[in-house]
Amino acid sequence: MKGVRWYVLLAATAAMLTIGLRLDARQERDAGGFKAPTVALERGRAVYVLNHCHFCHGVDLTSATMGAANLSQSPLVGADEDGNMIGPLVKAGLPNLQTAMPSYVELTSAEIVDLARYIHFLRQQARFKELSHLGNAPAGDRTAGEAYFTANCRSCHSVTGNLAGIGRKYDAATLRGRLLRPGPPMPSEGVGATPGQSAHLRLLETYTSANVQDLVAYLGAVR
Amino acid sequence: MIPNRRDVLKALAGAPLLVALQRPAAATTVNGVVFGVETFSFHDLPPAGDPQLIPTIVKNLQTLGIAECEIMSGHIEPFASVMTGWWVQSRRAPDFARLREEARQWRLTVPMTYYRDIRRRFEDAGLRIHLYNVNFNETFTDAERDRTFEAARELGAEGFSSSTVLSEARRLVPFVQKHKMFVAMHNHNNLADPDQFATPASFETALAMSPLFYVTLDIGHFTAGNNDAIAFIGQHHDRIINIHVRDRKRNNGPNRPFGQGDTPIAEVLRLIRDNRYSIRCYLEYEYGSFRPSLDEVRTCFDYCRRVLVS
Repeated sequence: MKGVRWYVLLAATAAMLTIGLRLDARQERDAGGFKAPTVALERGRAVYVLNHCHFCHGVDLTSATMGAANLSQSPLVGADEDGNMIGPLVKAGLPNLQTAMPSYVELTSAEIVDLARYIHFLRQQARFKELSHLGNAPAGDRTAGEAYFTANCRSCHSVTGNLAGIGRKYDAATLRGRLLRPGPPMPSEGVGATPGQSAHLRLLETYTSANVQDLVAYLGAVR
Repeated sequence: MIPNRRDVLKALAGAPLLVALQRPAAATTVNGVVFGVETFSFHDLPPAGDPQLIPTIVKNLQTLGIAECEIMSGHIEPFASVMTGWWVQSRRAPDFARLREEARQWRLTVPMTYYRDIRRRFEDAGLRIHLYNVNFNETFTDAERDRTFEAARELGAEGFSSSTVLSEARRLVPFVQKHKMFVAMHNHNNLADPDQFATPASFETALAMSPLFYVTLDIGHFTAGNNDAIAFIGQHHDRIINIHVRDRKRNNGPNRPFGQGDTPIAEVLRLIRDNRYSIRCYLEYEYGSFRPSLDEVRTCFDYCRRVLVS
């Protein structure tokens, strides 16, 4: 009996250590927020933190202070592709604000791209969190949802083809989560997003809550 | 009569009480230059209103071995700074008027014992609040301005440092006279708005309004606005209460670790040392780092110490 208890204790300790290490790796954070999940994103995080962007715009974009823009809602960031909009603004700064945004003229083109990709990653995380909890929001408009679907989704999806019966398959909450982000919750090293996942992530950055509710109303009726 | 050992011990028994009753906190100096910290530097403090906020600031100062601070109103008042009206764009929020009135009513009704208690916590630790950093602005009522001056006195502050504007400075003239307490204007580097403190001329305009107006010269922002901090200090040293020590690049450039920007920190510190100007040097950490803010403030202080002993 004593011997059995000894092995059980050892196994339990090993399990706890493993779980603890996994939790530590997932939740590793420092003064610049959580560590990014890939090498490229961590490069971008370094640009973001070491140039002190996180202080005004927030470590996760959800807590902008000092009068700074909310980058998770910014139309400029929504229109940006690989830094083509973010880069010029960051380099020029905003010297005429109440407290100026500095001019980061010394950032290289590679740093701008890394920075932009990191901002987009943070924006996707923030918008998913915001938009996936719309359960208590007013129900959407099916007609508006169909119009949005026609304009933005028809190139890849069909309600009589690959989405046939989707309203039977998923409840509203699951449908919402899957249309917002059909891929994994976090990027992984060496695993690129599929074209479809990338398209969804781009839309995730620009949906309004009304767009999402309308789409859920429309697709939820596809039986 | 020569006191015996019992008499000496009896006399010394009262010494701890006498020490406690005195105003503690000898200034922290390096080669005669007085140092303090702007509490803005502690980026990772508990939020406004948290009971651990003041104890954390006290502990940080003790850890650094720095005896005095300029404390932000956001670290004294239990509400977010967006409720104080300083951020002009925050005034456009739909619920701003309600939130601003909440902040006002708190200021007008909080008992002065609230501020005295905070002062005691610092003094019990051998520290002091030298300046109260309040960003006076047009949303203050006169009653609020009066009350804020009373609060500063209860905190033990000698005066204010304020990121205010020239138009508000005009409104403060009767208050500094009434309360016999100075306001030191703090600059940023918005050169486009003539109401902002950003150039030598803007400071000089305020200094002419009242003998109780002084300057908190942020040498980093001053440099980012392409101004000459050394020349300004040389010309106005007797009207400068303190400097904020930070390092920025010129032309609205970013904050950098000390020694990596364009701000003449070493030259300014040595100017103050060699001329024995009574200008206090307050560290203000605001560059990017993955390390806790206390570690970076210590690094900033170490840089200043090395500069002054060389």
